[in-house]
Amino acid sequence: MNSNESEKLEAAIHRVLRSLPDRKAPTGLEGRVLAELSRRAALPWWKKSFAYWPSTVRACFFAGSAIAAGLVVTALIYAGQSRGAHELAGGVSNSIAWLFFARDLVATVSDKVRMLIAAIPPLWLYGVIGTIAVCYATLAAIGAATYRALSFARQNR
Amino acid sequence: MEMNDEPPVHTQPPGLAPPEDFTTFMRKYQDMVFTTSARIVRNDAQAEDIAQEVFIKAYEHFEMLSTSPSAGGWLKTVATNLSLNHVQRYRKRWKFFSEFSGGSGSDSEETPAVEFAAPDTFFEGIDSGERRALVEEALARLPDHQRVPLVLYHFEEIPYDEISRRLGVSLAKVKTDILRARAALAKILSRGESLETLAN
Repeated sequence: MNSNESEKLEAAIHRVLRSLPDRKAPTGLEGRVLAELSRRAALPWWKKSFAYWPSTVRACFFAGSAIAAGLVVTALIYAGQSRGAHELAGGVSNSIAWLFFARDLVATVSDKVRMLIAAIPPLWLYGVIGTIAVCYATLAAIGAATYRALSFARQNR
Repeated sequence: MEMNDEPPVHTQPPGLAPPEDFTTFMRKYQDMVFTTSARIVRNDAQAEDIAQEVFIKAYEHFEMLSTSPSAGGWLKTVATNLSLNHVQRYRKRWKFFSEFSGGSGSDSEETPAVEFAAPDTFFEGIDSGERRALVEEALARLPDHQRVPLVLYHFEEIPYDEISRRLGVSLAKVKTDILRARAALAKILSRGESLETLAN
């Protein structure tokens, strides 16, 4: 298609499309919107987003949050300095001892796997990786070709 | 933009009523908002959900919109953006498949020549009601990656580069898709197929 034909086509399609009137909205739309607005308006303020909270409540919330954060930080500092904190740390470390075991286990298994991979000739390794990549690409190509064939068939029907 | 002729279905719960002005405002623009959304998402139920969301946002800004001469434009923009967000959820999938077979839309790509009738003869012998339905149906039959940029270009008058940016596809692909969409539409309209044929 040359540019002259293309411009003619653009103008023709533009005129056809712009001549379309708006479609009628479903008759229930207005009722749905009003019902949703009423439902939201009926919600108590604490169930609405923060922006809709009364300004005094928002100010109190900020002040309360700041005080709570200060208290938590202070409590943590004191707790960290106390004798009970060391006992607590010992207790916690005993209860999560299985995590250290799991870490050692993962390290041992990964070492074995690494040794196994190192023992395989690189050519075999590349061959397997290549085969997997080719299979993946083939499946994707078949999927895309099928999609396009069906899509074009639908379009040209 | 026309106002709805039919009386609305009132399902408004008792209590907390929105201002009367807002109801009038909504009646004035609901067809436009619904149409904008329906042409992009191609699904009436989803378009209705999007239209509802648009008017809820409008209600939050009603103080500004009620006196603004550009309220219609604001609603159209929000409807377009929400509809595009909806379509974008599936975009990656169709983008991958539509661009897969090397047809990534270079400028040099040939678009097949289309035999289309002179604009005046698109609808020979078809009355205006059927013509509208025919065009809407033809539009709905286009694949998403062609219909969405076509609608944005011709109905929303968004330039190519902006469409490319908003859809996250190359400028060349946007142009090719729009060109192909026009060609496909022209083909359908030139054939003057009846609605029954299109529906089957």
